[in-house]
Order: sequence, then structure tokens, then C-alpha cells
Amino acid sequence: MRYLLLAIILLCFSFSGLQAQTKLPALDKSPMDMSYYPNRYPVLKIQDQIAEPLVARVIYSRPQKSGRVIFGELLEYGKVWRLGANEATEIEFFRDVKINDIKVKKGRYTMYGIPNENVWTIIINKETDTWGSFRYDEKNDILRMDIPVQKQAEITEEFVMDFEKNQTGAGLIIAWDTLKLNLPIVF
Amino acid sequence: MPMKKGLLIVVSFLSAGLFYGCQQQANKVTVKPDNQRIPVSVNDSMILSIDRSSMDMSYFPEDYPKQKMMTPDLPNPVARVIYSRPQKNGRIIFADTSVTQNVIQHYGQEWRLGANEATEIEFFKPVSIYDKKIAAGRYILYCIPYPDKWKVVFNNNLFSWGLHIDKTKDLAEVELPVIKNNVQIEFFTMFFQNSTYGCDLVMAWGDMKAVMPVNFK
Repeated sequence: MRYLLLAIILLCFSFSGLQAQTKLPALDKSPMDMSYYPNRYPVLKIQDQIAEPLVARVIYSRPQKSGRVIFGELLEYGKVWRLGANEATEIEFFRDVKINDIKVKKGRYTMYGIPNENVWTIIINKETDTWGSFRYDEKNDILRMDIPVQKQAEITEEFVMDFEKNQTGAGLIIAWDTLKLNLPIVF
Repeated sequence: MPMKKGLLIVVSFLSAGLFYGCQQQANKVTVKPDNQRIPVSVNDSMILSIDRSSMDMSYFPEDYPKQKMMTPDLPNPVARVIYSRPQKNGRIIFADTSVTQNVIQHYGQEWRLGANEATEIEFFKPVSIYDKKIAAGRYILYCIPYPDKWKVVFNNNLFSWGLHIDKTKDLAEVELPVIKNNVQIEFFTMFFQNSTYGCDLVMAWGDMKAVMPVNFK
């Protein structure tokens, strides 16, 4: 009888344990973020201050440096990196644009990067809604573009992507640690 | 170095405050401090720091991106939600208007169902929610909370910030009963789970939970 009672109690505990565990997604260590071009488009939109139409949005996750050596160690030179963390980084164009003189049609794409000491290769690929770069397949590439590395004196702790207006459209700024890249998007 | 970093933080806060102050004067719709990001200057570019309420996304089928990584030629996902996750942080989540201190939102008023940018949902195929047919496509979601139910509204004002709702762009509205949870959830959470008729969009925060049945079978 005592064993039965114990068994029931244990069973109850295991059930409550299960309930508590209904696998709620925890907060990501590398939180997701999004950036728009025009910058702060959602805020401008509710303020009725939109001066130019929506062009692009990037959705990416933000790993932190956390005292690690990033380039050449955490990110191996010459190997495809997912340009963020978790889900593959996604870029959406709301109109046709040109990158590296190649037409990119309005739509959703994924982005990858191949790090090297002085030049990175940035990749736009058409396989969306995937995780990381583990299933990255070159045959789905839309384009590749080599971008020179600009060294920063100030450390950027959290990997970041943001757009910056320029004369031919906008640059997608990619920065982490001492690295800064500027991918020109022409429109 | 720590001094320099401290100074940088102080300067960032001050400039963010100044920036925010100017914003408030210039515009009708103001952005609350909890949405404020501290711009950090990296040479000539303004770089954004991490949000206090970080963004997240959930798919149906659950963990679709991971499944896709493992399984080639997976059929399209059914749904995806992109939202930000405010933290309860000891506050009262919803209360009536008699409560003015330490409350996040009053009953009967529009809540953006998240934080920062308006919460965005995409259906990759047509679905129905109770008797409402929702075409494939993207929408924003917002919520009007009551003690016993949440009114969740689909709206077409995409790519907007969640603080100002343009009701002329409402598309459909569903009422969901509030279910009491026996666990406290610190960060607002949205995720999909399997159901016999398709999937459920579960929304949970504090001791509250609401479930939106999404029918596509």
C-alpha cells in the first residue's frame, strides 16, 4: 500500500514535470533582430513620415563576441558562415535591385558569408526558411560578391546588420568585432 | 579601457535620450523608452545595440528550419510568426484602468501582441480560424485583452511599428478565451503546435495563455 502511494505520488510529480516542460521556446542566446531600408521604416510608417518606398529588410540573429577570437578561429577562413546565428539570415527585397551588377528580383532570399582576412565573399541564395548554413547549396546561389574588409578600431560586441543610404541606393553594413563590410545594393 | 567603455555607455545613453527627446517633439506618435535602442557609432555608421525585448520567430511545422536542414525537398511551411518578447519583470501584465502603477497594459486597449515592430504572421497557404477565411499572405496581429478573453485582430498594415494601429486596415477578428496557466512565463511567447485540424498558435505570458486554432486540413 505504501509503495502504491509512493508510486502515485511519483507519477503525479512526473506529470507536473511534464506539464511545466511543454517546451516553451526559451530566450535565444543570440537574439534575432531586423533592419529595414529605409532605416526605421516601421516607426516612420506609424508617424506618417515615409519619404521613400520600402526597399529591403534583413532578419538575422546576433551572436556576441564574448571575449572570443572571432576571425580565423570561431569563423574559419574560407568556410561558408551563416552570417548570424540560428535560422539562416534572410533578406527580402520589396522591389528589384542590383548587386554586383546582377539583377535580384523582389522576394525573399538567404545570405551567407565566406570570411577571409582581407576580403569576404557575400552570397545571396534562394533556399529560404532553413537553419544556419548546414544545408547551404551553391547551386541555389543567386550571386556572390567579394567585399573588402574594413578594420574598426572600436569593437562591435554583437554581430549587426543595418542599411546605410548611399549614392547608388544603400549599403548593407555587416559588422562584428573589428570587422566592417559594406555590401552595395543598387536601386 | 573600462573607463573608456563606461564613458561610451554614458554618452550613448545621453545621445539616445537626446535623440528620443527630439523625436517626441517632432512627431505625434512617440516611441516608448522600452522600444528605444541605443545607437552605437561604428565610424560613420550608426549601429544598433541589442533590443531589450528581443525578436524571435516560430514556424509551423514546428522547428521547420531545422527540419529543412535535415530533410531535402520538404514541402513549404504552413505558417510563420515574427514577434518580439517583452519581459514581465515583476509588472502586472493587464489590469483595468483603476490600476495605474506597474501595469503594462489596460484591458480593452490595443496591445501589439509583443514589442517593437508589429507582430507579423505569414500563412503560406489559405487557412481558416473559426469561421474566418484567411488567404495565404502576410498580416500583422494585435490584441485587445479582457480579463476572460483576448480579441486577436488580423490587420493589413504591414511593416509598421506596433504602437499605432490603423484600424481601417483590420481584416478579421477572433475571440480567444484566456486560459490560466499553472506556470509563470517571464517572456512573452508565441509558438505553433500540432492539432487534429491543423495547428494552434499558442500565445502565453505570465499566467495567461490563449490558443488560436488554425484550420487548414
